[in-house]
Formats: sequence, C-alpha cells, structure tokens
Amino acid sequence: MSFVLMKVLESAPHRYDKGMKILTLGKIGKEYDALTEDIKENDTVLDIGCGTGLLTIRAALKGALVTAIDINPEMLEIANKRIQELEKDTSVSFLEMGVAELDAFEESSFDIIMSGLCFSELSTDEITYALVQISRILRENGLFLLADEIKSKSFLKRRVNWFIRIPLVIISYIVTQTTSKTLKNIEEQVTAAGMTIKFRKTNFLENFVRLKIINGVKK
Amino acid sequence: MKFPSYLYYIFMTILETLLRFFPIPAKTGYQKIGNPDENSPVLLTCNFHLTILRLKKATQGLNYHLLIANSDGINVWCASTGGHLNNHSVISVIKTSGIEKKVNHKKIILPQLAAPGIEAKVIHKKTGWKVLWGPVDAKDIPLFFKMHFEKTDQMRKVKFRVLQRIEIAVMWFFLAALILMPIWGPLYGIEAVFMLAQIFLIYFLVMISFPIYEKIFQKEASKKKSFFSLGNMVVFFINIIYAAIGVVLYAIVYKHNYSGILIRWSIVSFVLVLMIGMDLKGSTPIYKSDTHQDRLYDVGINLERCKGTRICIDVCPRNCFEMIEDQNKVSNPRKVNCVQCGACIVQCPFDALYFINKAGDIIQPETIRKFKLNMMGKRQ
Repeated sequence: MSFVLMKVLESAPHRYDKGMKILTLGKIGKEYDALTEDIKENDTVLDIGCGTGLLTIRAALKGALVTAIDINPEMLEIANKRIQELEKDTSVSFLEMGVAELDAFEESSFDIIMSGLCFSELSTDEITYALVQISRILRENGLFLLADEIKSKSFLKRRVNWFIRIPLVIISYIVTQTTSKTLKNIEEQVTAAGMTIKFRKTNFLENFVRLKIINGVKK
Repeated sequence: MKFPSYLYYIFMTILETLLRFFPIPAKTGYQKIGNPDENSPVLLTCNFHLTILRLKKATQGLNYHLLIANSDGINVWCASTGGHLNNHSVISVIKTSGIEKKVNHKKIILPQLAAPGIEAKVIHKKTGWKVLWGPVDAKDIPLFFKMHFEKTDQMRKVKFRVLQRIEIAVMWFFLAALILMPIWGPLYGIEAVFMLAQIFLIYFLVMISFPIYEKIFQKEASKKKSFFSLGNMVVFFINIIYAAIGVVLYAIVYKHNYSGILIRWSIVSFVLVLMIGMDLKGSTPIYKSDTHQDRLYDVGINLERCKGTRICIDVCPRNCFEMIEDQNKVSNPRKVNCVQCGACIVQCPFDALYFINKAGDIIQPETIRKFKLNMMGKRQ
C-alpha cells in the first residue's frame, strides 16, 4: 500500500486530545468537570466511548468504580496507562467493545452511565439501540450523563458555527488527523427511549450540549 | 439501469474518481436490493459512496439484503488494513440494523478484501453469524451467486486493470493539481496549465504502460532502492523527449524568448520524479511499498500448528499459498507476490502464520489483529 495513504490512514489516538481541544476551543475540560459533578464514591459507573479516558479519570478520582468501553484498542491503551499513573487501576476496568455489545451487561447494573463526544460518532440505528440498552442496564432513577457537539436549531447560529468550524476542522485535521461530527435530535430520541431529561445546558452558540438524563421507573 | 440513474452513475463516478483520495461517507445500515425474501443472501460492504454505487451497478437483477458497515467513508481494503472497517463495525451493523428479523439464516457474505480487518471467528462468537468471504471484485458477484457461493481462483485475485490504473493516475494527479495550482497559477499564468498537463500526460503514460514497469521492478527487487533507479531514469527520458518537442514547438509557434522554458521543464521533471519515483509500487494494489525497508515482512508458517483449513488460500488476494496435499499442510511458494495485507495471519484459526523480516524479527498474529497493518514497524 502507498506510504502516503498509510500515513493518512494511521489513526492517531495519541493526538486525539489535542484535536478535541482545538475543535472545542479548549472548553472540553470544563464541560467534562461539570458533567461528572454528580458522581459519588462507590458509584458503579459505565463510560461509553471512553477514548483517552478524560471522563473515566474524573470519575475514578471521585472514588467511583468505573467500567470504560471503547472500540479503539489504541485509545484504551492510552487510557489504561493514564489510570495506572494515577494508581486507580483497581477501580477501573477497560473493555474493548462497542455500543452494539451493551446487551452483555446485566439489567440495572449501573448507577451512572456517561458518554462524552461518542454519540455523535454513531449512526441513527446505533443510537436507538444504545438508548434502549442504556435504559435497561441503568438502575431505576439512575443518571445518564451526555456531553456532545450538536447542530443549533437557530439558522443564524448554524451559519456562524459553520464559519467557525470549517477552519477549526482543517487546523485540527492537519495537526492531529482527528475530527468530530455533530449530533442531531438527541433529545427526542432520549425521550422516545423512555428516559427523562432533567437538565440541559448549551453554550451561547448552541454547538455543545450537556445533558443530565434520568432513567424512569422500571416496569 | 434507467437513463437518469445511469447519468447519475457517470457523474458521480467522475466526481468521486477525482476526489478518490478523500473519504466520501455514505449512510450506514440496511438496504434492500431487488426483492429479497427471508432466504436471500446477506451481503456486507463499507460506507465508501463510490463502492456502494459500483456494487449496486454490478449486481443489477440480483435479490439480496445489503448491510452497509461504518468504515469512515473509506474503501474496503484501505479501511480494513487501516483499522477503520473492523469487528465492531460488522457486529454493530448486524445487531442494530434489524437484519436478524428479516432473514431465517445466519450467514453473511463479506468482501474478501475485508479479511485483514475483520475476524470471522470473533463475528461468529459475538453474533452467531457465520462469515463467508465473497469475491474481490463486485462484478464477480452474479457468477458467485450462480455457483452457489463458491469462488473460483480468479475471483480471489486482486488485479490492476487499465481502468484501475487510469483511476489511480487521475487520483494522484488531481491531488497534485490541487496543491500545485495555487502556487504555479500566480507564478506562470496560463503556462501552469500546460505544465500540469505535461505532468498528467506522463504520469498517465507510466500508469498505462505499467506492465513494462513490472519487468523493471522484478529485476530491481533484489537490489537496494535508490533515487536514481531504472524506473526514474525511464521517466526522465520520456520527459526529456516530451520537453524537447515542447521547446521546438514553442520556438516555431511563438517565436519569442524561450529561456524560461528550461526552468519550468526542470520543475515539471522534478515533480514527476517525486510522484513516480517516490512510491509508484505503493500506489498499486499488487506491490508493497518499499519506502521503508524496515517495514518489509514476509509471512512465515508454523507447520506444527497448521491444520490445513485452507482459510489462508481463500483470503489471500495474491495467490501466495498452496496446499501440500499429502501432508494436509499449507506452503507459500509465491511469497514474492505478497503485499503484506495480513489477511491470512488475521484469519488463521490456529495462529499458524506470522510476519517475519530479514533480521528475524517476528510479529505475532495477536499484535496484527489488534493493531493492524498501520502499527507495523512501530510495535515490537
């Protein structure tokens, strides 16, 4: 295979964090801090699409027992190394699996499920499947925390975002070979899966959303 | 194919061939082709837009269920060797597309060139679906259906046909033009167009006459690669002839100062040698790139572990393997053909195959399954 193509194809997990920092203009850290504020000691937590472990580390430092899943083995390796450096490896377990394998977990086995910048990478089919499974494996009144990039509902803001985003996408792609997508209509899908949105916060330009979703009473 | 859709096919083929270098994602999930029923076969492909377009054209009149797995908009072979089309893409599309309610069997036909990235064993364990490796070329699918899902040796082989060579030439040229035009345009004005035309013509000629180059490659294979290789010299020579004709024409037609031509011709030659000399082999599907000597590996066989399953023979796109019938073991007498895709190593259920280089370094199947081809040379 062509050397040039190979270079382009090489996925670049070690550059992922930097790429996301550029794309979100550095606000990713604060958003994740706010997202994880409800996690308490000894909570059982599932991190869907843990990536390089940004959310996993925050939960582990609060004393939660975390199961972190991702489909990328290289990402998991980086996350695992970071957790070991913090000496939290007894409270975190990493699994290489995607959302289609969430049916492997038992019913009501988690207090909290969280996911950052992962749902925007999924197809509509996958999101529907994942939400049904999340509602099943989350305990009654458990929390589902979601942070992701979205498309604004306002036409003007969408145009403004578009102009900001295009150069950011180019820069982050050249520097780090990573990029991200945006999520559409997640609120409707969450409601359709039988869960309730307790808290929703977007930034002024409405390109990033933080959701606290509560799992309903189980039948 | 009806007239408007045929026009659409031609338009999209031209557009996407020009933009071939870039990923063009299509929607993932389930699609119905023809009028399939619950006994119809299930096929899977990547979500590169052009691939789906061509697959549908090649399989007109057939009835089957099509699953489009996420490969980040990259074609099957590149995506599977680069780790973009992997076990998770396949598991996900099987479980979330609702295909299990549409058919009464659990057999899925995957493109043979997806074998470097997808493990049949894992798919079966996690979903219960049995993987069958289909032909390399979509145009062989109608015959594959007729033969009750048996492949001929020809269906397993990757080829480099004239049309495919033109496609590669157009792809690289368009990319070069995208980069060079903003620089050359303001510098040379209309002449920049002629310079690009010259590059395209020669690169095109080289690609068309690739079978001649193959002979040079085979001779050079034993020697160490150098910038002043025979291949580069041939390109240089063609370019000199072409430029000489250009200079003469310029002098006759325009009858003015042509001293600048020499400089421009040198630039053109330099770009050409870069394009062709750097990695012509790597731009083809039938040779491995030799830009990094330390990344060159051969496939080794652990005969004690080999149980003669013939899976490696089935997935090898270069026909490297052969059965030793009386021992029920496999050998690779044609390992010079290997393009190092790793399909055989990934699929072998008994871990009997591995990568080994001239220094004797071994890369185990486990590492290749996990990190794919793109991590080779970095790991170990």
